[in-house]
Amino acid sequence: MTTIAADADHAHHDDHADHKPGFFVRWFMSTNHKDIGTLYLIFAICAGIVGSALSGLMRLELAQEGIQYLPQWAAMMGGEATDTAGKHFWNVMITAHGLIMVFFMVMPAIIGGFGNWFVPIMIGAPDMAFPRMNNISFWLTFVAFFMLFGSMFVTGGSGLGAGTGWTVYAPLSTSGSTGPAVDMAIFSLHLAGAASILGAINFITTIFNMRAPGMTLHKMPLFVWSVLVTAFLLLLSLPVLAAAITMLLTDRNFGTAFYDAAGGGDPVLYQHLFWFFGHPEVYIMILPGFGIVSQIVSTFSKKPVFGYLGMAYAMVAIGVVGFIVWAHHMFTVGMRVDLKMYFTAATMVIAVPTGIKIFSWLATMWGGSLSFKTPMLWALGFIFMFTVGGVTGVVLANGGVDQNLHDTYYVVAHFHYVLSLGAVFALFAGFYYWIPKMSGRMYSEWMGQLHFWTFFIGVNIVFFPQHFLGQQGMPRRYPDYAHAYEYWHHISSLGYLVVLVGLFFFFANVFYTLFAGKKVGANPWGEGATTLEWTLSSPPPYHQFNELPRIA
Amino acid sequence: MMHLIARGKNRTAALAALLALAMVGLGFAAVPLYRLFCQVTGFAGTTMRVSEETASAVPVIDNQTISVRFDSNTAPGLGWTFRPERPRDTLSIGQRDLMIFVAKNLTNRTITATATFNVTPSQAGPYFAKIQCFCFTQQTLAPGEEIRMPVVYYVDPKILEDPDARDVREITLSYTFFPVDEAATGG
Amino acid sequence: MAGIYRILIAFLMALTPLALGSVAASAATTARPVAAPATPAAPAATPVATSADAAAPAADAAAAAPAFEYARPVPGIGQPVVGGLDFQPQVTENGRFAHFLNNAILLPLSVVICLLVLGLLLFVVVRFRAGANPVPSKTSHNTLIEVIWTGIPILILVGVAVPSIDLLARQYAPPPANALTVKVTGYQWYWGYAYPDNGIDEYVSNMLDEQTAAARGEPYHLAADNRMVVPAGRTVKLIVTAADVIHSFAVPALWTKMDAVPGRLNEVTFRADRPGVYYGQCSELCGVNHGYMPIAVEVVTPERFAQWVASKGGHMVAPAPAAAAPAATPAAAPAATPAAAPTTPPSAGATPAAAAPAQ
Ligand SMILES: [Cu+2]
Repeated sequence: MTTIAADADHAHHDDHADHKPGFFVRWFMSTNHKDIGTLYLIFAICAGIVGSALSGLMRLELAQEGIQYLPQWAAMMGGEATDTAGKHFWNVMITAHGLIMVFFMVMPAIIGGFGNWFVPIMIGAPDMAFPRMNNISFWLTFVAFFMLFGSMFVTGGSGLGAGTGWTVYAPLSTSGSTGPAVDMAIFSLHLAGAASILGAINFITTIFNMRAPGMTLHKMPLFVWSVLVTAFLLLLSLPVLAAAITMLLTDRNFGTAFYDAAGGGDPVLYQHLFWFFGHPEVYIMILPGFGIVSQIVSTFSKKPVFGYLGMAYAMVAIGVVGFIVWAHHMFTVGMRVDLKMYFTAATMVIAVPTGIKIFSWLATMWGGSLSFKTPMLWALGFIFMFTVGGVTGVVLANGGVDQNLHDTYYVVAHFHYVLSLGAVFALFAGFYYWIPKMSGRMYSEWMGQLHFWTFFIGVNIVFFPQHFLGQQGMPRRYPDYAHAYEYWHHISSLGYLVVLVGLFFFFANVFYTLFAGKKVGANPWGEGATTLEWTLSSPPPYHQFNELPRIA
Repeated sequence: MMHLIARGKNRTAALAALLALAMVGLGFAAVPLYRLFCQVTGFAGTTMRVSEETASAVPVIDNQTISVRFDSNTAPGLGWTFRPERPRDTLSIGQRDLMIFVAKNLTNRTITATATFNVTPSQAGPYFAKIQCFCFTQQTLAPGEEIRMPVVYYVDPKILEDPDARDVREITLSYTFFPVDEAATGG
Repeated sequence: MAGIYRILIAFLMALTPLALGSVAASAATTARPVAAPATPAAPAATPVATSADAAAPAADAAAAAPAFEYARPVPGIGQPVVGGLDFQPQVTENGRFAHFLNNAILLPLSVVICLLVLGLLLFVVVRFRAGANPVPSKTSHNTLIEVIWTGIPILILVGVAVPSIDLLARQYAPPPANALTVKVTGYQWYWGYAYPDNGIDEYVSNMLDEQTAAARGEPYHLAADNRMVVPAGRTVKLIVTAADVIHSFAVPALWTKMDAVPGRLNEVTFRADRPGVYYGQCSELCGVNHGYMPIAVEVVTPERFAQWVASKGGHMVAPAPAAAAPAATPAAAPAATPAAAPTTPPSAGATPAAAAPAQ
């Protein structure tokens, strides 16, 4: 990373820089990377509300032993108020929560939102390489979301909606679920996948071809590096998912038997293909978070990132290794011992580059002059919570230990620590870090801090006890459980209420910022903020860098 | 200048798109490749299919016996019974053995079915060699018809050289009969 | 909007009373979940006793077959406990080793790493806060420290890999020739068990409803009408498949989990060294009643196993036809002196509700 000597006044010297099109053209046919980024962020927040509401319903149902609400909820959604429809609705909720959070909240926010907004600016480009393709990506994602949402209202076998889990394993998703709901969910994944592949091509091209003069690859900010690695992961993994679910679709509708043992297919093959995508997918969600945290830690330590090259190549290493560890998600599928040993060992290797990142962040702060604004709090929370999720990952990497923990709440706790407390913390960090830049107004510091502390405490109450549940044997994806599990489930549900309070502060802060926030100048964070976006006005001009900045 | 950037952009994008397409292709190609891979390497407990000539050249290790268990399943609704004549055999490694499976159609329709198979433990797959098997072809049974179907196989002595497989005392050979055509079974 | 409001109210109402209740419950239980391999208490009478007196109620169809009574589960063994933190007590050697690997190596390592990161974080936060350190340093490289924090994790991981690979090797050790084979089939939504060598054809195992489970002193959601019964001290080889969709056979106290995949057979082994009732649940999403197809494994003494086989109309087999040779000895006998049956069934029917056996 490098300090940038861009001419400070170029933001104002162009009249047509702020020449915006009319409302409809601007927001529905947008080709401006910042507008598309904004659209993605708004979309992700809306999808996030739906996804969080679903998790709230699940925590409510799980708060007590017995089935309390499911049949009524199934009826509220337009289904029958029967026990079966209720239990099916449970499976629909776990499926929708997973798919929405992965494909319609985290990915659109972190790549579509922050990636679109800041990758071009950080490399000194006027826009993305293919602005119209960018627009198509967004609207495909948008349609995909409504396709998934709509699938909850059509029949999926024993009730309305697709109840296959986000993994959509065959044969539950083929012969095991009749009706159009699963087809719609699969088609939704196709659209979202296509959108992300187009987005990935766009980011790769932008980063390779549109860097300002002097902005070599080894001078790019780490956030750009993280998006570049992520784009490659998307490009290589999503097509495999597309192929895998296309075959699901033909198995369902056109009598093929790719995954049907009856026709000579193999359901385990689907799992291999799914996780060949699915494992890189978890890095797709977390790598841009690494990038964001690196920027923030550096900014609020007033120090350049420690071990920049190590940080960049650690991400590349995580991306590469991420492609050869997929079968650790399938340890109980009936795997020969040498293979299990390989996947155990390979998975543990990932801890090394991850450790490099954690220690480099600490070293970045070491000797710095730290200020604890809201974005920094989230970044610090990220570092610690991601460590917790990381060490349980090493536990689960052990094929022999996974024989007990596989598909238990321990796994649920693990991946929520890296995603709900990892990726989501990075999202909030990025939001508070960049909202002054995006809106031109400063958020409320005390509300931001309250948001952090309530959310931090809340998610830990929700997810930490789930480790205990898992060790005690509680399987995941259950709407009800044996009496002994009620204790920790109940506490976990109480944690959700604390999270709700945190989210209240978040939304209050968003409204406060947009309507009453104090106006800010180009760089509200001071000398630590060295990347190019802080050289532009807040918000940046509609078209930036009509004259390309030169990087020293 | 702008022209050059545009050319570079298109080339990068085209390469990236090509990469994505190649991965789509790889995703689909995984189906035949996985099957081939299993057949060649015995992965996932896939058994080997050998010719009479290959089989006749295999030495018999008299002082090393191994037990082979036979497991049979039918898809729900198939309407067949399907069982091995004995639950297991004990044989010398390399020795050729014949096992008869008996299938009977209990319905009043003619049904065609085909069997999937694998062995456990899966590391024994590469050494389980079938010379003749009813699972190589489809089986059709008239209403009430019963047939006796042979499997001729041996356990390859190379198993004794594989550190993961040489201590295996018992191999289970499993079959599952599935109806071939949904329409034919009315299911 | 009104709907959301109602749900929120429901949430609050559901949670408040329970909060009080569960805190009270925790006071009673949190103290204990230290999972040392505690020996079951009562040195029970020889289990053979049951056959004669308990035959009366269940002698319907199997008039000729001697009756067999299921044992009652012991609280805290083979099932979760309220507020439990640790794994369920393990009753197999591999399970104990895996438990040891987690509790003695992985868990302490995890805690140390988390505390190290937290400690460094707090130190940096205090020592280098802007107030205490107004002028930041410009250091951004230090090759030595980067090599150290790459190298040390590698060494630690290699250290961890040794016992983890060892555990895998143990779990995959080929079963001895005298192993008992049980065929397990997953269905939507129940399990089928068969004993091919004992001539016991498949029987199915369904979840008990709440009243019946309570009457039998068993935990609802975990209790099943027909159990899988296996002998202590002898390796059990499960061959697992499914009829419709993928299920997963899992019993936490046996550290055992294996997917049941239609059209393919899987194999997994365990050797329980102590009689008892060990519960598990289907662990792969399999449709509407995924949460309602429990697994109940009862480990019994060899004598009681013979009894059970007889009650099922099956027959005992001599260990492996050909392989009674030297290889069989180490696993077969004395190493595994099964402690004792946890409790003998209180000749059923009589006082079904009479509560759990005194521990
Ligand atoms: Cu199941």
